[in-house]
Amino acid sequence: MKLSTRARYALRMMLDIAGHEDRGRPVSLALVSERTGISRGYLEQLALALRNARLIRGVAGRHGGYHLAQPAEEISIGHIVEATIGPVCLVDCLEDPQTCIRSLYCECRPVYALINYRIAEVLRSFTLADLLDPDRIQSLRGEVQELPRLMPC
Amino acid sequence: MKLSTRARYALRMMLDIGNHDENGRPVSLASVSKRTGLSRGYLEQLALALRNASLIRGISGRYGGYRLSRPPEAISVGDIVEATIGPVNVVDCLADPESCMKVADCECRMVYALINQRIAEVLKSYSLADMLNPKWSETMRGELESLAPLPSAGAPPPGTTPPSSGEGTPS
Repeated sequence: MKLSTRARYALRMMLDIAGHEDRGRPVSLALVSERTGISRGYLEQLALALRNARLIRGVAGRHGGYHLAQPAEEISIGHIVEATIGPVCLVDCLEDPQTCIRSLYCECRPVYALINYRIAEVLRSFTLADLLDPDRIQSLRGEVQELPRLMPC
Repeated sequence: MKLSTRARYALRMMLDIGNHDENGRPVSLASVSKRTGLSRGYLEQLALALRNASLIRGISGRYGGYRLSRPPEAISVGDIVEATIGPVNVVDCLADPESCMKVADCECRMVYALINQRIAEVLKSYSLADMLNPKWSETMRGELESLAPLPSAGAPPPGTTPPSSGEGTPS
């Protein structure tokens, strides 16, 4: 149950755009690439998916780049994940019942569907605005039970 | 974010054992294999992991096999998933901070940790006993149909969704 690199990079890209579009000026992918270390080509791929999902808006021209298409409070991690790797789909039979002969009477499938829905809800419960707010991150830290730390060198 | 085949098969195996050890007799892997269609070899691998996690108990001998080592109420889907594919881990940096250079100042890691925690809670909230109960499955189907679709970004807030039509209920 890994979150793919594509989704993680998209989140990093969105955070960078959100963190740098002050004063309404679009953020160029060249700058995003410089700051995040993600290649320009990869960012362009991600931009296409994020634009199609109407999470960012492109501005053409010499000082062009990308804006968030909605306020950071309304863009959740779930939206970014879905835009780049598709809806959360824990098991194939949820999207395509034909993939399994048991689909019709399977006792697991309704449970998978519920778990799927709950996971999608969890991903919707955090927004870009949460991630951009150091106080909020600090308060979330209190909810995390345990997290391995970096070993001191 | 797929649940691996290994975890799904383990759940199927546990359901089969849960369904057939009623009279206190151990369930043989040969019979589990016959009913579930999973190969004997695969079941043996899974049994090893499930036994190590103390979810099943092996009994040797001519009528040997496996039994649940706890009542099915006390075995969650999360327990089975963890026993067979390890703890829920949406990103590598959670278990292994050395895997990413940004760990020390990453604003995402905390949120990934929380997402991880909540997903693990979801998996722990369904038990084998729930799934063994056909009435519960029916209830779940009903609950599923009543779930509103999650809004897309910028969509009108919830509360404005039309009531679901209840059609397509299987008899």
